[in-house]
Order: sequence, then structure tokens, then C-alpha cells
Amino acid sequence: MHKTYLLDSLDELQRHLAQSHEIYQVVPQSDDARADYHWQQVGSGNWPDLVEQKPLQSPKSFFFAEQEPLYVFDGETFEEVLPTPTPFVLFGVKSCDLMAIHYQDIFFEDDPYYQARRKQGLLVGVDCVTPCEQGFCQLVNAGPSVRDDTADLVLHPLDGQRWMLVVLSAAGKQALHGLALEDASPEDLHQRWENISHCEQSFPRYQYILEGIGKLNQHAISDEFWQQLGIQCLGCSGCTTLCPTCSCFATRPIESASSQQTSVTQVRFWDSCLYESFQREASFHNPASEAGQRVKRFWYHKFSDDFVPEFGRYGCVGCGRCEATCPGVIGVHSVMKRIADDA
Amino acid sequence: MLNLTPVPIKIVDCYDDGENTRHYQFAIQETEQHLSPWLKAESGQFFMLCLPGVGEAPFTFTTLPNAQGNFRALVRRMGSVTDALFQCGVGDIIGARGPFGRGWPMERLLNQRILIVGGGCGIAPLASVINQLIDSQQFIQLEVVYAARNQAALMLNPERARWQHLIPIFNVVEDMAGLSDGEFYPGTATGILPKVLHTFGEQPDTVLLAGPEAMQTAAAEYLVAYGIDPKSIFLSIERRMHCAVGLCGHCYLNEKYVCSHGPTFSWAELLQYDIAC
Ligand SMILES: Cc1cc2nc3c(=O)[nH]c(=O)nc-3n(C[C@H](O)[C@H](O)[C@H](O)COP(=O)(O)OP(=O)(O)OC[C@H]3O[C@@H](n4cnc5c(N)ncnc54)[C@H](O)[C@@H]3O)c2cc1C
Ligand code: SF4
Ligand code: SF4
Ligand code: FES
Repeated sequence: MHKTYLLDSLDELQRHLAQSHEIYQVVPQSDDARADYHWQQVGSGNWPDLVEQKPLQSPKSFFFAEQEPLYVFDGETFEEVLPTPTPFVLFGVKSCDLMAIHYQDIFFEDDPYYQARRKQGLLVGVDCVTPCEQGFCQLVNAGPSVRDDTADLVLHPLDGQRWMLVVLSAAGKQALHGLALEDASPEDLHQRWENISHCEQSFPRYQYILEGIGKLNQHAISDEFWQQLGIQCLGCSGCTTLCPTCSCFATRPIESASSQQTSVTQVRFWDSCLYESFQREASFHNPASEAGQRVKRFWYHKFSDDFVPEFGRYGCVGCGRCEATCPGVIGVHSVMKRIADDA
Repeated sequence: MLNLTPVPIKIVDCYDDGENTRHYQFAIQETEQHLSPWLKAESGQFFMLCLPGVGEAPFTFTTLPNAQGNFRALVRRMGSVTDALFQCGVGDIIGARGPFGRGWPMERLLNQRILIVGGGCGIAPLASVINQLIDSQQFIQLEVVYAARNQAALMLNPERARWQHLIPIFNVVEDMAGLSDGEFYPGTATGILPKVLHTFGEQPDTVLLAGPEAMQTAAAEYLVAYGIDPKSIFLSIERRMHCAVGLCGHCYLNEKYVCSHGPTFSWAELLQYDIAC
């Protein structure tokens, strides 16, 4: 059994964690009601509430940076450049995004850059109590409640502005050290499961997603069908950028000259398997020259049983961001509907 | 943890060996600090060559690193990294990281009947395994097919001249202009396979292939039709690479990454991964 506490408000917890960590939270970009929600550093006394909205971007860049140096060459030697972030808390990460971090933890297990950031980050999750627009986390076992091995602490909204705090890891327990907290009651625990179960039942059924996954794994989708879909991919990389489990990168050197010497920094930056040049070789041989092949690759990587042995799950955590961002019609709902109906 | 930082290497020697192709010798610098992982390199593995300010690209070892840190690679000029390398001179310091990937299945080669087929630059990953087998004499039978487009494209000329005296070699050239019939056969790697298999006597136990992907897959299909087990046919697959350690995603082949699961794959594995060809 995990230790559970009751909080009358979040300030005290935020203030406590802020003594030893930078705090990041999802906040609206402006006062406009239609504003996007983003991760941002917060603090200095004025603690924002947790918002229900799913942020436009997942927190993946906290660990897998959008662009970062790998090494520097000074003309004679190559020096590794590892990131050195101060300890930080991601306060209020949704279950789907936590599952994506868990997935990336496995993928980047031996990556020193990812791990240097990851070991400084404390994850405070939050259960969802209402389905988000286009989310289908419950179909892919990623939410709406936070899964046990994906966070350090979990918050759950209870009646009367109160919060339940669940301790999931040793790091979570350690982070609470010195904070006097009231235990949660069995009624509070009961309320949590009631809320979660109610939320799970409120999701639309999205039967076509299950059908689509089934057909994909039966290899029942023809290359012509993928090619038809591929025509509608603009290769804009919106989905791969926003997808919390996408992790492809490219590398390139950046030169910087000072008065004394020129040094070269090799950087890596997010790339997209949907770009035409992603697999193009120096000889111009391109194993994925057709848009259909690339779109197929993307969905295969998200939903193929072939990746399950390595990650213990599918590559999609059901956040729905690819649908929300796609200017064409190759987001998850559109694609799966078409596969279910026509493939 | 992985290390993605190159070690400094010096260009020790180089000579032209085929059209736009040079055979380089490199020496790992500060060997006491950097050499040990390189001594574990195996034939068929590769390394990333780093031209600071230009980029990195993968190359196979034609000679594996020795105790002094010297190793060799055959490099064809294709684009930015190789252009920059060709502009460097002997003595220049550049970088390398490795060794990476899965090499040839050496345990399946000892005391066997082996057929090796290389096309074009694909002879590069085969050079060190051929030398290793010849030098150790631990084979029952070893024959090599080497295919090139024309006279100018012939590579590894000194090596093939040495092998010619020691094992049967079938040099096949599409455009025979300037070449004599006795030493060279007109045609392609796959075209000559019936003749080679006929003279081979007993069926080869293991076949190694390297070169253009279409050539390799056509040869593998022919060999299977001839009765050779797909598990005994090995290919060396090329993909664009950025990281070489299974992270950047560029070299995917369905659920595998060529850099870390390959570049050597058996034909049986590739059929299972549904290789796009
Ligand atoms: C396992 C393996 C072994 C190989 N062994 C040999 C060998 O022994 N000998 C040999 O001659 N060749 C070999 N090759 C092929 C060799 O790697 C390519 O010919 C080489 O990459 C050409 O590099 P280049 O920079 O000159 O060409 P370019 O086309 O200019 O660039 C190739 C590299 O530059 C980068 N790049 C290119 N285009 C882009 C872009 N649009 N955006 C971002 N980055 C880009 C990538 O890192 C790419 O790998 C091997 C390839 C593989 C995969
Ligand atoms: S997909 Fe699920 S876990 Fe993610 S925000 Fe939506 S409801 Fe919450
Ligand atoms: S594929 Fe789409 S729905 Fe699935 S995790 Fe990625 S962005 Fe979210
Ligand atoms: S080269 Fe990066 S995954 Fe293979």
C-alpha cells in the first residue's frame, strides 16, 4: 500500500518542494480563455493552481532536449558536454505524459544526456477526473489515473478544494521530508477510486482505435492504403514534435569562433521520421522514399506488437496531440477511423 | 552509459584505390586512454568518422585496430564528410567513435565452406574477414566473387591481387572495356552465381554478401532457390546513420536498428523483418 496524505491546499507542498527544487507547472499563456497551456517555471510565493487542461506540449523536452550539445572539439581534443540542471519538479504531470516519460526512460536508459537531466527531475503526477478532448489513455493503459511506476508523487482532486497526495517512490518520500502531513482517510481513498472509475466510464468508446490496432497487427493494411494516407501528410513534423514518445534526432556541427580559436560543437536536435530525407543516404538510395512508407512507419512504431517486448506496452499513450495538431488528416483518430472503415 | 564523444585519430597514410575512392590508414591518439574498446572490434563492425565542423558518417574497418591503434578503411567520396576527408592531409587530426554493430558471424565461418560475394564498395566490410580467414587458414573452402561496374570502379586492387594467389576469385565487371577476358568475367554478381556454385562442388555452408542492397537481396533469393538455408546467408545492410547506438532512429528496419542490431543480418532475419526492397 502506498502512503497517502490529505492536503487542504497545494501551496504548502509547492513551497516545501521549492526549497530544494525549481518548480515547473502548466499555466495558460495569457488571460484569454482560448489561450494555450504550457509548461513554465513558477514560484516566488504566488503559486498557481493546477489547471485541468492538457498542455499543448508534453514535458518531453525537460529530459530529451529539443537541441543540445553532445561534444566540443577545440582543434585537438573532443570533450563530452553533459547537461547539469539544478534539481527540478514537474508539478502536475498528466498520467499519459508520465507514461510517455516512463517509455522514454526505457528507451534512453543508456543515454548520458537524457539521464543527467532525468536524475534531477522529480515527477508529481495528477490524476485526470474528466476525459480530455481527443484523449484515449484508458485504451492504451496510460491513464486517466497515474500508473504506479511512472511518478514519484501523485495528486488527486477531492471534494471541497482538498487534494489527496499519494507517495509512489522513495524519491517522492524523501522530497516530503520535514513536511507535517495529515493521513488520508479510507473515505478519501474510496473517493479517489470512485472518481477514477467515473472518469474511465465517461470516455467515448473509440472502438475504431481498437479495430485499427488489430488490423495493423494482422498486417491487413495494404501499401496502397498507406500511400493514400501518405498523400495527405504534409511532412510538417507537428505530430512527431508534439508526440510525447517520439524520440528521433539528427546531429550537426555548429562552429563558434572566438578571437583565440575556433571550436566546433556537435549538437543533436529533434528530427522526424516523416521527413522525406529521414532515411535518404549519401547515394540517394532512400528506403522510405514514399510518404506512405513513412506514415506507415510512424503508426507501426506507435501500435505494433513488435515493440511490446522491449517496452512492455505500445508506443502511443493516447494523448491525442497528433490529432489536434495535424493540418492534414493523419492524426490518430482520423487514421484509425479510416483503417477501421476502409483498409 | 553510452559515450557519443569521438576520440582523436591521425591520418597516417592514404592512397587512391578505385574511382573516387581512397584507402586510409588511421592511428588512434592517446592510446593509453582510448584504445581498449577499439581492440575488441570485429570484422563487419563499423565506426563513425568525425570531421569536426562537417559531420559524422559510418565506415567499416578494412583492417581492424591493432595494438598500436592503427586501423584502415576504404572511403568512397560521396558528400560532405567524405569531401572534407579527401581534403585533409597525412598528419591531420580528426575523430572517430566506435566500434559499433554486429560483425560477421565468425563462429559460423571456422572450418567451413564459405562463399563471399561483394559488389562495388561492398567489398570493404568483407576485406578483413577474407584476410582473417586466409591468414588463419581455418577454412575448408573459401571463394570470393567481386563485382564492379567497370575498370575504373575496381577497388581494393592490392588486396585482391594478393588473394588471387591464395583462393579462387571471380572478378566480374559489367563493362569490360580495357580488361582481359581471362582475369575478368563479364556480367554481374548475381549473373555469375550459377557458374560459381557449379564449380564450388559441395554447397557452401555459409555465404557472406555485401554491396548494393538490390544486389544482396537478389543474390540471397537466388541462393535460397539453390537450396541454401536463409539462416546461413548473411548480408551487410546500409542505412543512413547519425548516432550509431540505436537512439536517433534514422537507420530503422521495422523494429530493429541497423546500427545496433546489424549491420550484419541473416537472410532469415531480414525476411522476418519484412525488409523493404
Ligand atoms: C554501416 C555502414 C558502413 C559503411 N561503410 C562504408 C565504407 O567502408 N566505405 C564507404 O565508402 N562508405 C561506407 N558507408 C557509406 C558511407 O557512410 C556514406 O557514403 C557516407 O555517409 C557519405 O557521407 P558524406 O558526408 O560524404 O555524404 P553526405 O550525403 O553529404 O552525408 C551523409 C551523412 O551526413 C549527414 N547528412 C547528410 N544529409 C543530411 C541532411 N539532409 N540533414 C542532416 N544530415 C545530413 C548524415 O549524418 C549522413 O550520414 C557505410 C555506411 C554504413 C551505414
Ligand atoms: S489522455 Fe488521459 S491522462 Fe492524458 S490528459 Fe487526457 S484524460 Fe488525462
Ligand atoms: S501517437 Fe498521437 S495520441 Fe499517441 S502518444 Fe503520440 S501524439 Fe499522443
Ligand atoms: S544510427 Fe541512430 S539509431 Fe541507428
